[in-house]
Amino acid sequence: MKQHKFLFFIISVLTFSNSLAQTEKQAIKEKHFAVRQLTIELGIGIHSNFGTDLLITNLVQWNPKKHLAFASHSSYNINNLLQRNFNGIKTEYNYSINQKFGVGTTFYSKRSSNTFLLMAGIKYTSFKEILLNPDNKNVSAGVNALSPDYGLMYSLKKGVKKYFFSFRMYVPLYPWPVKATNISAVDGNMNNIALEFGAGIKIK
Amino acid sequence: MKKKAILLTQIFASTSAIMLLFLLGSCKKESFNSGATKEFTLQSAANDASYQIRVGLPANYNPLVEKYATIYVLDGNDIFDFVANKCKEISDNLAVKNVVIVSIGYGQDRSIDYTPTKISSITGGAPQFLNFIKTQLIPKIEQDYKVDTARASRVILGHSYGGLFGGYAFSIHNKLFGNYILLSPSFWFDDLIALRQEKDNRNDNKTRQQLVFMGIGEAENAGRMQAPFEAFYQALQKNYSDIKLEKNHEKNLDHLGSRNPNIEKGLHFYFQNK
Repeated sequence: MKQHKFLFFIISVLTFSNSLAQTEKQAIKEKHFAVRQLTIELGIGIHSNFGTDLLITNLVQWNPKKHLAFASHSSYNINNLLQRNFNGIKTEYNYSINQKFGVGTTFYSKRSSNTFLLMAGIKYTSFKEILLNPDNKNVSAGVNALSPDYGLMYSLKKGVKKYFFSFRMYVPLYPWPVKATNISAVDGNMNNIALEFGAGIKIK
Repeated sequence: MKKKAILLTQIFASTSAIMLLFLLGSCKKESFNSGATKEFTLQSAANDASYQIRVGLPANYNPLVEKYATIYVLDGNDIFDFVANKCKEISDNLAVKNVVIVSIGYGQDRSIDYTPTKISSITGGAPQFLNFIKTQLIPKIEQDYKVDTARASRVILGHSYGGLFGGYAFSIHNKLFGNYILLSPSFWFDDLIALRQEKDNRNDNKTRQQLVFMGIGEAENAGRMQAPFEAFYQALQKNYSDIKLEKNHEKNLDHLGSRNPNIEKGLHFYFQNK
């Protein structure tokens, strides 16, 4: 098993390194793309469980150099928005706030740019459930928790003008290790991949 | 065209690398190898399903001298090895006698076997499944192995629907098991049937000696797990006079992520208090 893991790791690193490799043709192409140094991208999103989590997000990206990117990502998530009363269990509130910072690299094509970022930050989760049935009507349970939040983010900017289309995917890697890769499972990191769409503006 | 291909290759390669790294975490498969493991298949007379049973014996299993407690593990296909290894580790650390682990594999859909009432075509088989455990499995284990046949020496451990089944066993067949490790139990099922069953059978059960560990993930925020869990816990705490009761909220972990840490804590509680 250790050998398999090691092999996976080597293949992953090599594959990733290969993807970063530049060709002359790319270099010619990049000349046509105006590098954005500072952008703000507002978006809304969902989690990959296709549940009812609504994400309201913002990404601020700064590229001090063409292939070097820094980013700040903020997200306010309203969880289980459409399922607040289930089997006599009422959800009073259920939200989380995430703030992450990251560093990564940007690739350019003719009409778009692709940024890969390593992100790390914190997540605050708060929710409260109460029981509605007469036998247990005074019983409630709530959680207010602060936890680490780190993972990998892919950001696509489509369009070359001041305003552009923005798409982001964030794959959380906390808690590690991943417990389920089954996308139809109850939960697990694979089910909490964030998919965000929105519009961006070039500041500089 | 070539430029597009290069771009797509870059995206694909990078995404693949990320996904490969991501999948590494789920590659680990634990195996129990410190004691002898026996396997057999047992067909249920109630529903004709065949259950794969694995029995994990302590490393120093000595049927001539000792009698052992038994832990019946639901979802045994997934967690038997982890439970068996943790029992060995914890009993060694606490210098107490280890137990016999009985893993119950899947004979049919777990949602049938582990749920107490029929609300769809794939639920409601818990009465038959419990009858199978009571009339076939336990007698066979207690006949074939040197285990203690007292109620106080039997433990049932279940997660999610398995935890719901453990709650059902607690309320309806409380004479069968004296110890319950209920992990992220699906007490929301069928409009909180688990809470109603506990209340309906409380007078029969409340003076009996019990050991109950309840565990859940703090990040289980699907709007159904936490409040029924708390209600069940409070009902036991307020109404049962002779109970050793503990609950644990596993920090920052969700339904699946909290399972193994809670198994470990539940077993620790059992070995410390049995």
